[in-house]
Amino acid sequence: MAHDEAIRDAAAAWAVRTGDPQFEDWDAFTAWLAADPAHARAYDAVALAVADAADVLPAISLPANDAVRPGWTRRRWLGGALAASLVAVVALGVWNGRGGTYTVETAPGETRVIALADGGQIALGGGSRLVLDRRDSRLASLERGQALFTIEHDPSAPFRLTVGEDTLVDVGTVFDVTHSAAGMALAVSEGAVVFNPDKQNVQVDPGQRLTSASGSDRYEVGLIPLAEVGEWQRGRLTFRDAPLVQVASDLSRATGVAFVVAPRAAERSVSGSLVLDRVKADPRTVGALLGVTIRHTGEAWEIGAG
Amino acid sequence: MAANDSRAGLEAVFLENRERLRRFLVARGAGDAADDLLQEVWLKIAQRESGRLAGPIAAPLSYLFRTADLLMIDRYRSVRQAERRERAWTDTHDGTTPGVSDAPSVERHLIGREHARLVAETLDALGARPAAIFRRHRVDGIAQRLLAQEFGVSLSTIESDLRRAYAALAQLKERLDEA
Repeated sequence: MAHDEAIRDAAAAWAVRTGDPQFEDWDAFTAWLAADPAHARAYDAVALAVADAADVLPAISLPANDAVRPGWTRRRWLGGALAASLVAVVALGVWNGRGGTYTVETAPGETRVIALADGGQIALGGGSRLVLDRRDSRLASLERGQALFTIEHDPSAPFRLTVGEDTLVDVGTVFDVTHSAAGMALAVSEGAVVFNPDKQNVQVDPGQRLTSASGSDRYEVGLIPLAEVGEWQRGRLTFRDAPLVQVASDLSRATGVAFVVAPRAAERSVSGSLVLDRVKADPRTVGALLGVTIRHTGEAWEIGAG
Repeated sequence: MAANDSRAGLEAVFLENRERLRRFLVARGAGDAADDLLQEVWLKIAQRESGRLAGPIAAPLSYLFRTADLLMIDRYRSVRQAERRERAWTDTHDGTTPGVSDAPSVERHLIGREHARLVAETLDALGARPAAIFRRHRVDGIAQRLLAQEFGVSLSTIESDLRRAYAALAQLKERLDEA
């Protein structure tokens, strides 16, 4: 027992060292591992326990941060920005804002699941930014990107989401929202959501998709197969008559690979369905699947009208 | 041009250090799969380039070892998940309601939240500083050297706080796995 504990402590010490980006002494680590097969097993157990703990922590750690010390939130975020630029790994940022709100942000290609205090959850897609209110878990604002909401319905306290100048109020449970410079799109797979109850007051039902351009009161309601609602979370994106500028923006956000549109091709529309892992492994596959041209420029993959 | 150089650099370092990496994977517990895993490391390098995630790598050899180490952790994770699924299947089929398989998603979700609560309690029990340092390092991804500056303590204090947190979390996981 004491022996196992000693091995676990040694494994923890190695995991702390190898976990730092500046660690270089891999030969000494190899020698320690080779000394006894129990060492590798203990290291695996520690490494997995720590990785899992770090994965579940953000969901509930936020309120505790205030107690650590004043000025903490600001340093947190500055430090985070600094480290991200140093190691070229953009970690998920969570930081506290004014008036009890906090922001959750993902890098392109990253997704994140946020548990809400009342049992609901929000899956946040890549390159997205969501503001939540610590004092009221029924309020949220999707500042940019895409999120799939699974909301516990409570008639006495409806869930309200602001998306740019629009407000969505849930009457039910599962819905997906995209917010880009061009506008917003709402797709519902369960229950119902009301679009701008104080203005147009449109109820969007399962299998429907509402789109509205930025800075406009006009909206359109179309149909979407239920399986396609939130499918990005299962690693797939489907486009139906989507302009290339939207394709490029959605793909960049979902994969973390930069896509741009060739000059004058932005409005050209395409249809097709893509598996994101394959696009990540080889961005050229986009060309064949959507019937467009694709070429590598200095900074990004450029999609052309074909 | 620069991208081609960094790719050639990484691939050259891989080829030069192939045996060293292989020894590492074997010691790390890969056994017969060491060669397959070497191949995976190689593929990750190629993917990294074609995926354009790349910037120049400051320490290519460390990058390769780290990639190999993370592959082993992933492998361990999937073995553990497979074991757990098998156990869950057995439990379900021993139970009185055959045919009723998965717990509802809300219940699974609560198990995740319960796990989060236990993790937070375990860390908080070590004190405010180790708990905060763990979050900064593992959740926010801040390097240990920068944390020493941020918290105004020595690097060895950062390391010792993290060691305590890691050991405590490993212990928690053992307890949860037994339960």
